[in-house]
Amino acid sequence: MIRFDLLIIDDEHRFAELLVRRLNLRGVTCCVRHEGQSGLDILSHKKFTLILLDLQLPDIYGTEVLARIKKVCSATPVVILTGHGSEKDRQECMALGAHAFMHKPLDIDALMSILTQIGGAAS
Amino acid sequence: MIGRFREAVKLIWPEFYPKISGRLNPYFTIADYRKIWGIGITLLTATALVPLAVATITYYQMVQRLVDSELVLRTERVASNARRAVTFFFEERLDALKFTVNEIGFDQLTDADHLLAVLRNLRLGFGGLADLSVIADTGVQIAYAGPFKFEEKNYGNQVWFEECKQHNYYVSETFNGYRNVPHMIIAVKGLRPDGSFFILRATLETERLFQTLSSYEPGAHADIFLTNRSFMLQTPSKYYGDIFEKMSLPPLNYSRKTQTVMSIDNKLRSIITGYAFITTKQTGTPFVLMVVKQKAGMIGALLAVRSNFNWVVGLGTLIIVVVVTVLCTIMVNLLFRADRSKAETMVLMEQSNRLASIGQLAAGVAHEINNPLALINQAAGYIKDLFIIEKRYQNDEVIMESIDCILDAGDKCAVITKQLLGFARNVDTKIQKVNLREVISDVLIFHEKEAVYRNISIAVSMPKENLEIETDPGKLEQILLNLVTNAFHAMEDGRSLKIQASASNEEAVVISVSDNGCGIPKENRQKIFEPFFSTKPKDRGTGLGLAITYGLVKKLHGSISVESRENEGTTFTITLPICIREEEGKNEDTPGG
Repeated sequence: MIRFDLLIIDDEHRFAELLVRRLNLRGVTCCVRHEGQSGLDILSHKKFTLILLDLQLPDIYGTEVLARIKKVCSATPVVILTGHGSEKDRQECMALGAHAFMHKPLDIDALMSILTQIGGAAS
Repeated sequence: MIGRFREAVKLIWPEFYPKISGRLNPYFTIADYRKIWGIGITLLTATALVPLAVATITYYQMVQRLVDSELVLRTERVASNARRAVTFFFEERLDALKFTVNEIGFDQLTDADHLLAVLRNLRLGFGGLADLSVIADTGVQIAYAGPFKFEEKNYGNQVWFEECKQHNYYVSETFNGYRNVPHMIIAVKGLRPDGSFFILRATLETERLFQTLSSYEPGAHADIFLTNRSFMLQTPSKYYGDIFEKMSLPPLNYSRKTQTVMSIDNKLRSIITGYAFITTKQTGTPFVLMVVKQKAGMIGALLAVRSNFNWVVGLGTLIIVVVVTVLCTIMVNLLFRADRSKAETMVLMEQSNRLASIGQLAAGVAHEINNPLALINQAAGYIKDLFIIEKRYQNDEVIMESIDCILDAGDKCAVITKQLLGFARNVDTKIQKVNLREVISDVLIFHEKEAVYRNISIAVSMPKENLEIETDPGKLEQILLNLVTNAFHAMEDGRSLKIQASASNEEAVVISVSDNGCGIPKENRQKIFEPFFSTKPKDRGTGLGLAITYGLVKKLHGSISVESRENEGTTFTITLPICIREEEGKNEDTPGG
């Protein structure tokens, strides 16, 4: 089984916590940050297989965070997961190099298939 | 030709006349167009007609004054000439008698044969002399020449005798003589050598006087006659009585000169009377000369001109009133139409604002619900994971069913929130690629529940390949939603709705929405796209649905048509271009509501 390291940047604590548990059950290790800045900080000293990024963050808006992530580690795929993203957001994120744009509530099987794809590509 | 006539009628047809009522009412700037119309017509007509009326009246008065003064002048001239003639008539005869008295003397005049000769000579000179008589100072007639035998008659106690004795001359009024012919007498006093006096008296036939008078008669509507000083007629009159009757005109004041007065006669004719009290150089007479002219007769030509002028003024007035009325109607109509279209726009704006705020509300609700929904979904998913992956309750069907139930419900909610968010968001989306199948199924979600409990079947038929067009999805959704909602309203329970979509050619697609409901009556088919036309009960329809739909289709550069049979059903067909050019899409500033 391929080992996945996932960074979740989402200000919804309970949502993130539940998601971590579900992913753990599927053998995915997760790291959670609730602000955009702290998410960027951890990226400076740790590598992840995939970053799951919410758009509505308390400090920096998601698209800005995405742009900065792409500067630091452009190779890491970023999946946007948002509760109320508009078509405009979607287009902007895809232009900035997001791997996928997903809506909450999250379809965990869809996320897993994306991870599997990335893992397959990496190996 | 007929079209132009219709346009003209439309221009002047007072659309504003019926009282404004209903939903547009509060948005009109001017409440009472009839009042404005009335005031406009009154003011303009008055402004045009008052100067005309003043000018006409002034003109009439001026002409009347001129004509009157001319008439007075003419009447006065006739009266004055006639007066001179009548005066001369008497003076001539009095002078002739005076000459006879002085020349022939008492002795010869009392000789019957000589008197007869004098009578004959005077008749030759003047004519109209009936007889001559000589009266002594006692009043006894001592000689007579004439057709009767009046010898030795005594006039001593008669008024005329006294008058002549005192004033030397005498002129009598006219009277009917023995032969029932009007006569008058004139008398002259003469002196005898012994100092006593005698009187020569002549009886005149009035024929000569009448002739003299009538030779001055100034026309058909004029009258000339003599009266005595108590205004008993002394000669016959055409209009104002017969001889010896009282004149049927008001009495006049004495004047030494010829006078003219204007008055109304007994038959209410406007008349001008010229009169003169006849006085000879020898003595006064009892006569008053009257010349009466009827104004109407004399100014007939003028009245004809006036009547023509009245026609012209009347026609002018009519034209002014018609032009003013038509102008006012056109102006007020234009004002009214502008005001009405403003009011309609206001109502449409209010409606679209309402729809926009409903969209915002829906978006707000969906937004707030989405996060807790994500949490429920995640929590339920985690529990299910625990059961399946940890295999603790894997075989407990009841728990597994419950979890699946929560997850299903969560998924359904997610679809609805997504729908609401998408719907609201589309209010300001631009032109983009739209999959018709998705749009149609999105729209039908709103009616799924109603279709189930009303047992209405919905059939969607589309070609197998994806039908994609470039358009504004928000507007398209709104169009289809309006049409489907209308179809549901038109159908009883258990009927069926059919939606068909196909590419009609390389540039356009055709979408039709058919129901087998009540249909649209023929007389309403022309009006259904008009704003505020509704046959639904007041609480159900605003009358805006199809008007908005029509406007939205036009904004998407499409067309909409309707086919309907009463009690069989209705089909709305919209044709939309497969691709709208970007510039056209950008110009759409306001959402379609």
